[in-house]
Amino acid sequence: MKPWALVRLALAGTRSDTARVALTGLSAGLATLAYLAALTVVAIPTVEDNGSRVSPQYRHALIAEAGLRPGVVVVLVLLTIPVLALAGQCALLGAPSRDRRLAAIRLAGGSPGQAIAIAATETGLASVLGTAAGVGAYFGGRELLHRPGADGKLPLPTDVVPPAWWIAAVCLGIPAVAMLFAVLQLRRVVVTPFGVVRRVRDRPPMPWPGVLIIVGLVITASIVPLSRQLEGDTPALLLVLLFLGLACATVGVVAGTGWISYRTGWLMHRFGRRPATLLAARRLMADPWNGSRTLAGLLACLVFGGGAAGVRSSFATDFQVEREAAERSAPSGVTIEPRDTDFYFGAFNLINIAIAVGLVIAAGGLVVALAESIVSRRRSYAALVATGVPRSTLAKAVMWQSLTPAVLGIATALAVGVGLSRGLFGDASRQDSVVREVPVPLDDLALLGAGAVVAVLAVVGAGLLFLRASTAIEELRV
Amino acid sequence: MSYLSARGLVRSYGRTPALRGVNLDVEEGEIVAVTGPSGCGKSTLLHCMAGILRPDAGEVTYREHRIDTWSEGARAALRRTEFGVLFQFGQLVAELTAAENVALPLLLAGTGRREARTAALSWLDRLGVADLADQRPGEMSGGQQQRCAVARALVTEPRVLFCDEPTGALDSLAGEQVLGHIVRLAREQRTTVVLVTHDVQVAAYGDREVMLRDGVADPTGLGTVAAQP
Amino acid sequence: MSTPHVLLGLLADGPKHGYDLKRAHDLKLPRAKPVAFGQVYATLGRLARDGLVVPAGQDRDAGPDRTSYELTEDGRKALMEWIAAVEAPMPHLTSVLLAKVVVTLLVGDADQAREYLAAQRAAHTARLRELTGVKTDPDATLGDVIAADFGIAHLDADLRWLRTTLDRVADLHEEVITR
Repeated sequence: MKPWALVRLALAGTRSDTARVALTGLSAGLATLAYLAALTVVAIPTVEDNGSRVSPQYRHALIAEAGLRPGVVVVLVLLTIPVLALAGQCALLGAPSRDRRLAAIRLAGGSPGQAIAIAATETGLASVLGTAAGVGAYFGGRELLHRPGADGKLPLPTDVVPPAWWIAAVCLGIPAVAMLFAVLQLRRVVVTPFGVVRRVRDRPPMPWPGVLIIVGLVITASIVPLSRQLEGDTPALLLVLLFLGLACATVGVVAGTGWISYRTGWLMHRFGRRPATLLAARRLMADPWNGSRTLAGLLACLVFGGGAAGVRSSFATDFQVEREAAERSAPSGVTIEPRDTDFYFGAFNLINIAIAVGLVIAAGGLVVALAESIVSRRRSYAALVATGVPRSTLAKAVMWQSLTPAVLGIATALAVGVGLSRGLFGDASRQDSVVREVPVPLDDLALLGAGAVVAVLAVVGAGLLFLRASTAIEELRV
Repeated sequence: MSYLSARGLVRSYGRTPALRGVNLDVEEGEIVAVTGPSGCGKSTLLHCMAGILRPDAGEVTYREHRIDTWSEGARAALRRTEFGVLFQFGQLVAELTAAENVALPLLLAGTGRREARTAALSWLDRLGVADLADQRPGEMSGGQQQRCAVARALVTEPRVLFCDEPTGALDSLAGEQVLGHIVRLAREQRTTVVLVTHDVQVAAYGDREVMLRDGVADPTGLGTVAAQP
Repeated sequence: MSTPHVLLGLLADGPKHGYDLKRAHDLKLPRAKPVAFGQVYATLGRLARDGLVVPAGQDRDAGPDRTSYELTEDGRKALMEWIAAVEAPMPHLTSVLLAKVVVTLLVGDADQAREYLAAQRAAHTARLRELTGVKTDPDATLGDVIAADFGIAHLDADLRWLRTTLDRVADLHEEVITR
């Protein structure tokens, strides 16, 4: 297939699948904005000031201090992962007209690979549009947000532009990565000449991901003792270990959701009495990995969020212990000026904002996945409604099948996140004779968990809108 | 008044009229075949009479009740209890086993799980597919799936069975078996059947045939409606 | 028609006399037009004349009509040839239905032809329903079913033709009267 033919065929569907293209474009645009913001921060020039490297023209320390900027960049780049995953997930959105078009292409002699390539190119083209919009928004935003304060300091680095070739690389890279995600998402989709079939693994999941979680926790817990033993200057190794521990635990939680889905499905089938639970149970058992796939972004955010909450709790305890120790050792009558902790908690708040944004984006991906699962079953849903099954029963089934693995997965993710932080920083803080236990940050965890559950509920609500459209009697026509 | 009747049904899809004033009376226990070329509105007529679609104008009465004005919930309950519906294909839930698919309407009606399964198994047996009870639709042939669908449509012992091209996706022998089962069971249960088809061989399973053409009944079969617009 | 060959076939498993042949014919081909005694005897006479069957004996207490016949070697060969021969698929497109439509258009108008076609279709449909009833009868034998299938398939073909011809009558009228 010549490239022009690929593009021509990929463009054939842009009119009928507006929603999918718009969502793909939007996520590509967001990713572009995040990358350009990160690159801008990277491009900030620094000056030497009494041995510390700073950029004094900015108001916020996070941007002004060169040592803190890599953290900002990392958070921004991490944010783009769920965004790009969302763009790829849009390729899954089972727009019926696209399914028919791909099947027709196969019927006309296209190979399965070509059909997937066309679908991926659609994503790529939509991402190009989104990226262009993102670049436009970036330059527009620079103009709008360039507001020097009374002291001449800038709230944001609106005075720097990354080199042109960096921008060009983002413009090319984002559509390419979105296409890569699309191909990954479509690897279980088989385009036959008669329609699009979604392959599912039929082996029930095993609880091995639990082992992965434990490995992750052990690795993280071994970092501090290891660094004491090594005593040398080995931050690189420790960083790798930290990353490895985090990755193991996150993958374990995500994959473990498959097992959780299957088991809850089994239990619901065993003990459920209502048709809605029967439908949901069978769906969970038939495709337990659906939970892992769709909840991956959300759960990763929550592992990270749980960890951040734990670390925050550790820091808070440390500060308290530090102050108490200072008070004890200080001669009477001297008031101890408490350490200025605003900076740290400000940073934590920023991380929380990033996690919240990540959650929202992951919820967007969840909407896409849920809508896909409903739309691809529209025929049997429509037939059920025609035979008198109330839509509310179907809605309940969708609710059960989405919420049970989500709630259990969310709880696991938060627990693992806190476990990681406690493994790293210990469960107690001591200085001199002052020892304080680090409390489990129940408030923060409850907030995160509730936020995630609310996000999933909102997603189910949005998915139910698709249910109404998918049960229209027209779906029964061939 | 007839058991089930349609009076002056009008229904359009956008600007395309599907029904332009159709009358149809069906008596209790009767098997009526509705035929006509594709696009004549026969499926739409069935959907309106079964309470799946609301007509734009006209009335549908079932046992002296005017049902087209009922709420969606009330019509769904009617379809669940009094009516059975059978389509061309794709009506079984892919994730449920044959027995669970057949038991579904009973579970919806609040029947206990064990009782529902027993009833489902006995209906699968009556349709000659008892050995498939624990298989999923994907593991069955089209004819077997359709027999399960017949079992599901009849498991609540409906008063009226609506069939829309029930054998459209089957080869002639499998189709014949499905139709044979439908007719035999309908006669046993004294079920009224409305059978929509474009195939004269399928229509011949009915006690009588009603021809539709361009959204109106064509009682003489002269097709003059189309000839004189 | 194929009555001589059917009789040859019925004689293949042993000698029979005319009365047995008639009974066997009506039993094996249950929904065919029953064969008359006279036709059986006349056919047997012709077959004997051609040397395909020979008298095989006579019931003692019966008259000349109770002669039984058996196949000759030639008769068996003729039977096998008939079985193996492929029938010409509709060599002539002649049918009473077809002729009636054309003649109606010659002497009448399109409406008259249409009325005839609709009436014929109603009759065909009724017969189709009757044969379908034969098939769905729980007591139907497989013989009944394949005979009914045969009729159903042909009626279906006729009905399709009637349907399309109804739609073509007006144009056909033009053609018939102008040629």
